[in-house]
Amino acid sequence: MNRTLIYLVMAGIAVVLQTVLLPLMLNGYYKPDLLLILVIYLGLHEEPQRGGLMVYSLGWCYDGVAGSFPGLNGFILLGIFLAVRGVVTRVNTESSSLLLLLVVAGTILQSAMVAFSLDFFNQATRIWPQMAWQLPAQLLLNFIAAFVLLRLIVWLQRIFLPRRNLPGLRKLDSRYES
Amino acid sequence: MWEWWRKNRPLMLGSLLLLVALLWYSVNLRQQDETNLLESVVLRLTGPVQAGLDRTIDGVADVWGHYLYLIDTAEDNRRLIDDNRALRAVLTESEEVRLENERLRLLLDFKEAQEIATLPARVIAEDASSWFRTVMIDKGSDQGVTEGMPVVVAEGVVGRVMRSSPRFARVLLITDASSAVASLLQDNRARGICRGQGDQLVFDFVLRQEEVSVGDRVVTSGMGGVFPKGLVVGNVKSVERQEFGLFQAITVAPSVDFSHLEEVLVLLRSPQ
Repeated sequence: MNRTLIYLVMAGIAVVLQTVLLPLMLNGYYKPDLLLILVIYLGLHEEPQRGGLMVYSLGWCYDGVAGSFPGLNGFILLGIFLAVRGVVTRVNTESSSLLLLLVVAGTILQSAMVAFSLDFFNQATRIWPQMAWQLPAQLLLNFIAAFVLLRLIVWLQRIFLPRRNLPGLRKLDSRYES
Repeated sequence: MWEWWRKNRPLMLGSLLLLVALLWYSVNLRQQDETNLLESVVLRLTGPVQAGLDRTIDGVADVWGHYLYLIDTAEDNRRLIDDNRALRAVLTESEEVRLENERLRLLLDFKEAQEIATLPARVIAEDASSWFRTVMIDKGSDQGVTEGMPVVVAEGVVGRVMRSSPRFARVLLITDASSAVASLLQDNRARGICRGQGDQLVFDFVLRQEEVSVGDRVVTSGMGGVFPKGLVVGNVKSVERQEFGLFQAITVAPSVDFSHLEEVLVLLRSPQ
């Protein structure tokens, strides 16, 4: 329950940052998708049923502040979560490089799913030419955001929770102990 | 069979779940123009936080700009005095033109188009995703804002209200990929549909025999039932006429600078 609440608060902070603060700082349409990073993290460290339900619910809430198609973000975030779950048994989930790689792959999968959902199911919408232009910038932004977040979280853990075992941060933390 | 199912159960269940989510999205496409309960709750919850943060940022920027960062103030002051002189001259000239315009209107017994009531609103947040183009405004159904109402600024069309809650509403910008505005070229009255494509618009269905030049002004045609006729959409940015095909490929630069959108006007009328 506590963990669910923490994830919800993190999602809320991500949404506020993406809608108010980051557009002002970056002065344009492009902004890193912090919720995507959270969903990939959930995919690496949460159980399929619990995590899947949470991600799908988050997606429905995300529809309230992103896009104009109810259910679209639920479908996309669930797809990304399941894709991460599909590879999680074959990789070292404690590796920070893996998270960065998954963020890049997740961004590509997200854009492909948006294009598929809109261009195939809603014929009035033609989004792929715009996405083709935007994708490289979006990849770079998401990569930088994931990198900065990793550094920030490890730094915060060292200061506030030095003895806690946070999923995904155990190995990272050991690097900073010397 | 049972062994196969046990081995592939996670994959099958995952695929089934994803298929259900896709079907649910597909079913919901029919209710795309209405605000559902969850969206209304999200708007109510996030709106005050976003509005508060927006005001705080404005306040900090205001204090910084007015009281702390004063390096260029003296130079700005000199420049503004010069600008003021020049603008006074332009204003006098404009007043003459306005008076002349009024006289001509009276002379021709020109009936003014019926005024539509407007509601000023402030943009408090942008779309959370980079793929879509929507903004949130600080006026909602309590102030009479409902789905489908057009939103404009002095430079031209901004978009239409897509979702509304009691105190906040979301506006779909004309540059969003799911937006389509019935438009025409102001000079030769060629009709078409302006579709959003991120930073620009694509003017579809203009017949290839129509004469279109770069810089031509595109305005709303009033045919779509959402926007009144004659609002500026943008200017033609490029024209491509291929050897075959019925239509031309035209891109339009929107007249509104969407990256610096702060205040907008909602046209308070029922969508037709």
